[in-house]
Amino acid sequence: MTAPLVALERAAVGYGGQPLLRDVSLAVVPGDFVAIVGPNGGGKTTILRALLGVLPVIAGHRLQPGPLRIGYVPQRDHVDAYWPLTVAEVALMGRYRRVGPARRPGPADREAVAAALARVGIGDLSPRAFRTLSGGQRQRTLIARALAADPELLALDEPTNGMDPAAELDAMDVLRSLHRGGRLAIVMVSHRIEAVANYASTLAFVDKDKSLFRIGPLGEMLSPSALGELYGRAVTVREENGRRFVYPEPAP
Amino acid sequence: MSAWNDFLAAREIWREPLLASLVAGALCGFLGVYVVLRRTVFVSAALTQLSTLGLIAALILEESLGVEVEHTGVQLAVALAFSVAGALALGMALQGRKLPGEAGVGMSYVLAGALVVLGANRLVHAAHDLNAMVFGNAVAVPVADLVALTTVALVCAVVHLLFAKELVFVSFDAETAAALGFDTRLWNGLLFLTLGLAIPVAARTMGALPVFAFLTIPAAAALLLARRLRAAFVIATLIGLVAATGGYVLSWFWQLPTGPTMVVLAGVFVIPGALLRARQ
Repeated sequence: MTAPLVALERAAVGYGGQPLLRDVSLAVVPGDFVAIVGPNGGGKTTILRALLGVLPVIAGHRLQPGPLRIGYVPQRDHVDAYWPLTVAEVALMGRYRRVGPARRPGPADREAVAAALARVGIGDLSPRAFRTLSGGQRQRTLIARALAADPELLALDEPTNGMDPAAELDAMDVLRSLHRGGRLAIVMVSHRIEAVANYASTLAFVDKDKSLFRIGPLGEMLSPSALGELYGRAVTVREENGRRFVYPEPAP
Repeated sequence: MSAWNDFLAAREIWREPLLASLVAGALCGFLGVYVVLRRTVFVSAALTQLSTLGLIAALILEESLGVEVEHTGVQLAVALAFSVAGALALGMALQGRKLPGEAGVGMSYVLAGALVVLGANRLVHAAHDLNAMVFGNAVAVPVADLVALTTVALVCAVVHLLFAKELVFVSFDAETAAALGFDTRLWNGLLFLTLGLAIPVAARTMGALPVFAFLTIPAAAALLLARRLRAAFVIATLIGLVAATGGYVLSWFWQLPTGPTMVVLAGVFVIPGALLRARQ
């Protein structure tokens, strides 16, 4: 069995010593694609923050066997687009941890940034002002910044929030290409199960109001019983042209 | 020409104040870029009030102890203590989750402002100083104040040169910085510490209201003009420097109050950027 990069074991997570969710157990191994799904305000980001070690667990444990290179993509609207920064300057921030305090990024860091931007298909946007980009281009910039850290674990918080369906598909395809065949582990938070149902290998359902935390392989979690637990109503999963679509049924 | 000759002849009078205005203007202009981009303009307003409150506390203490000679070093130390403590507390408040950060900033501003008025009401001998403290009167700047201001400016310059990338990162996207392992409290604390140090020493020269203005206007003007962050820092520093020294000189020639003249001149520098943006 592969050792996890990072894990939560029977963790209680929340803020100010007040747990939002208890008994959260989640292990991320190299090559995983874990999607944390649930309603807005359901506790998804809280779990992600606890997993990354930004938020200390209130009870239980957070395990991280060794040093871990993390790439993080915040919610797009949490990043202030007013700052007069270029795409390359934003992406370079992903290298700052490696560079260390009181030191300047060098040519190797700039090469890593150029490679990361090319990897997400926006190498030509490098000198453009971040604030002039479209939503999808900004998202790619933030993913490139995360990749510039050469991460073992890529964590994304609602990366497709506010995107139109085409841009969402585009962003998810970028993630799939990054993940495919590699050892990069991805943990992604989304309130839209449809956004992840065709990409993730593991799903976690979270809703603090129902004290719900359930995790399992994709096939198991797309079962009517698991989906019914999350949505509180009957849910149908259909496959069309090789893609899964999730339809909550109207309440009886 | 005779006015200019008179001005040059009086350099013994204006040398320290002009140098102090230059340093204070440049320092506030530079730091203002963070203040404006972080949307914490009212943090600087609250800190200038707290700094003034510190000065008044020192004056009341001196009067109540019967000290007849003003100890400007003590006054400045108390103002620094108030400002630094306020800066660190407000920096924490802005990250807190129990109350919106603006609530802490607003409360600090109005409470400090009310206490300044109440404190000034108790002053007997030093009440005449209050107007200069609040509105600025860079006519006479003791060498000790200039030394303190220059020292703080150098400390801020070193901190901001060494740790520019960390301070920019946590200011631009604290959430990601924290996820990547940066101690955002530490870096935010360092940034607010430089603000807390700069405001009282600059306020001794320019006055509280001009300092608040110089933490806002040059940065706003620079951000309208600049396409790059580095350029914004350089332009804001230059605008602060030119507006403060130019305002001082103009106030001398036109016999105007110094602080407001500096502020109005700084405001003039907003026009080119505003016109440029209007054309885009």
